[in-house]
Formats: sequence, C-alpha cells, structure tokens
Amino acid sequence: MLTPIDALRLRQRATILHAVRSALHEGGFLEVQPPTLVNGPALEETLEPVRADGRYLHTSPEFALKRVLAAGLPRIYSIVPCFRDEEWGRHHAREFTMLELYFANAGYLDLIPVVEDLVGAAARAVGAAVPTFQRRTVAELFGGDIPGDDDTFFLHWVDRIEPRLTEPTFVLDYPARHAALAEVRGSVSERLEVYLGGLELGNGFSELRDPVELRARFLRSAAHRVALGKVPHPIDEGVIDASAHMPRAAGIAIGVDRLVMALTGEPDIARVQISR
Amino acid sequence: MYETSDFRNGLKIELDGDPYTIVYFQFVKPGKGTAFTRTKLKSILSGSVIERTFRSGETVGEADVEEQPMQFLYANGDIYTFMNTETFDQVELQAKLLGDDAKFLMENLEVSVLFYKGRAVNMTLPNFIETKVVWTEPAVKGNTSQGVLKLAKLECGAEIHVPIFVSEGELLKVDTREGGSYVSRLNK
Repeated sequence: MLTPIDALRLRQRATILHAVRSALHEGGFLEVQPPTLVNGPALEETLEPVRADGRYLHTSPEFALKRVLAAGLPRIYSIVPCFRDEEWGRHHAREFTMLELYFANAGYLDLIPVVEDLVGAAARAVGAAVPTFQRRTVAELFGGDIPGDDDTFFLHWVDRIEPRLTEPTFVLDYPARHAALAEVRGSVSERLEVYLGGLELGNGFSELRDPVELRARFLRSAAHRVALGKVPHPIDEGVIDASAHMPRAAGIAIGVDRLVMALTGEPDIARVQISR
Repeated sequence: MYETSDFRNGLKIELDGDPYTIVYFQFVKPGKGTAFTRTKLKSILSGSVIERTFRSGETVGEADVEEQPMQFLYANGDIYTFMNTETFDQVELQAKLLGDDAKFLMENLEVSVLFYKGRAVNMTLPNFIETKVVWTEPAVKGNTSQGVLKLAKLECGAEIHVPIFVSEGELLKVDTREGGSYVSRLNK
C-alpha cells in the first residue's frame, strides 16, 4: 500500500538535514560518500542484508568510513541510504537514511556532546523543544541484574525496559558480549545508544582498533550465524586492515528518519519518507 | 498455526487456552538484537486487553472461532438477541460482553456474531451505520466548519459529537469504531 506524500514532513525533513549538515560543517566534519554496493555487509549478526547481483547493499557505511579514517581524515561523516532486509513496521523500513560520523582522538563518551549539539540544532530548526538527555547504564536499567543469555536480555529489553525509555536518554556500557565493534573494558563494552521520543535513534562506540580481536569477532559472528542456519557474512579484510591503522576514534550511526519522527512527533516512518 | 509475520489487526489467536483478537501489533528490533513483535490482545471472552511480546518466528494457534452475519432483534434487560436470517436460529449475548458497542445496536442492524467452540460469545458492529439525530442543539446555518462540534443523541441510543450545521431529524453516517464518530450527512 502506497503511503501518501506528506509535504509538511518532507519540508521538516529537509530543514533537519540542512541544520545537521550545517552543524557538522561548523564542527569541522567532512562529508564523504561511501559506496552503496559492497562485498560484505557490516559485522551485524542479527541484520539481514539485501543481496544485489552477488554482492550486498550496505547495511551501514561503517567499513568504508573506517578506511577513510585510517587514511588520515580525522573528522568525517556521511548521510546515505542503507538497506536492511526483513525489517518493516512503523519504526523500521527496508531502506532508510543513516547519518554516520567518526572523529579521531576520542572515546564513546565524547560522542554525547556532539550528538546533543546535532539534535539541538535540528530541534531548533523545526521549532521543537531542545531535548535534555539523561544518562543511564545498562546495569542500572536492568536493576543490576543483567540476564546472562541474549534471548532473555533482548526479550526483557523490548518488553520492559525500552517502553519506559520515553525521556531523551544515552544508554551506556552494554555487556561485553554485545560489544559489536566497540572496545571492551572489563565486563562492559564502550558502547552507547541514544533514545529520543521513545525511539532508538543511534548506536556509538569507542572503535575497536585491534585487528586480531576484530578477526576473532568476525569468526564468532559467522559461527553464530551458521548455528542459526543463516548465511555467514564474509570477513572484510579492508576493515581489519584499517583497524590496525586507525587513530583512537569514536563513531556513531544515527537513523535520520527516526530523528525526523522524534522531533516532529510523527509515529509512522513511512510519512517521513517518499514511499516506493 | 500463525507465525508473528502473519499478525495483523483483527486476527484471532489462541493463547494459554483462551481466544484473543489482535488489536495492535508492532515489529520491534533493537539495533544489535533479535526481532520481536509487541502486541495488544483483546480477550474474546472477557473483553479485557493484555499486552504480550512475541519473539519473531514464534507460533500461536488459531482461535477456534467462527463469524456469522446476524440481525439484531431486541434487548430485554441485559440480554441482547440476534437472529440468523437464513436459518432463523437465535442467540443471546450478555450486555457486559457487548460493552460500549451496545449503544449502536438498532433493530434489524446486521452485525457479525462470533462463535467460540460453537457458542456465541461476542459480536462485531459494522464499521459504519446510518442513524437519525433525535436531539441536538439547533443548527447554525451556513457554518460549514467541521472543527466546531456539539453533542447529538442518535436514534440507536449513542451520543456523539457532530458539526454545528447538523439538525435534528437528519440521517447521519456514523463510524462505530473507537466510541463512535461523525462521518457525514446523508441526503435521503
């Protein structure tokens, strides 16, 4: 079913994108354009990529941007369409727009003021209240009792924790086994997620820079996918090589469609996009 | 059996031995996690609504329910009687099961009666009904604003808000969902 074009939402979306790009430009970030058609999707064992002619449409521009970071550009971002199969609904679209940014000599907590700046600029541009973010660790949200297995962790998260995350929030310090591509410190990963208007808006890391550990994570993820009867994602040698040459860096990916939804109060992602 | 990908509003499922209608569902997937479907389920037997989260791919049984078009005949106290116009079979439903929907019932209105394991347990109104205004404040002629509303009593027994240009005696098209709302005037 075709969703009608919502002219107001498209205007607000354009205003937000303009404000975000201006704020990034002010902050010294350089816009780069990663390829959309790639040899391997990001290292995300629960994401299903869209196949295209024997290759993949990227699920995020992470690997390409890390190669750029390793090549010596210290503050970069891209705003591009990304593709994730088997995701649909009012908060999910198979094709959506991602803002992804990286900057050198920083850790995950340094992402907080940058995101606050961007969201604040976008909010002011559309006349929305500038949000004040609270910070919560995963351990606090689980009341100190983090479930040991992934299935219980995510069911509890979706069923009981996420519905209560209605205030603007940075969620910090995920368990080490949910590190994805973040640095691990003891039992936690240096990883954060940002919530606005009850929506999971983005995910950021202190970026892992150990090529041996990164290869091990690729292999673990592949083994896990095989165990689930899914096709393993190929190992991306480009990002493993880049990880060895990258400066210490923080990076975050933010869903632009959801940012527009959160700032305009729009409950349906289809109305901030032009539907197929 | 239904999988979570079959979920849609109005689907009737069996859960813990009781029949429910799905009244809300949403695909949820944490960025780094597995997928779930969050639902609100209305009990077909009691009318109460519960929330339940399913893992993607989880299966649930189909509720053993059947719907039959029937006509509303009359209410006697708390008992509402409906008739199948082909077989002339009659069934009775308690007012407490019908809840707020009872106020839209008029003689001869075609509804859908729900049978669970062969027993009549509930009914669904048509989404739209036609009914007359029996009382409202005098109409403000010429004001065609849809934004200003006043109360109107309808022949079926319900009270809804209507635009101020509506007069007593006019026939209206009314949406029966979510408590009832004005759709349009019918010129007959």
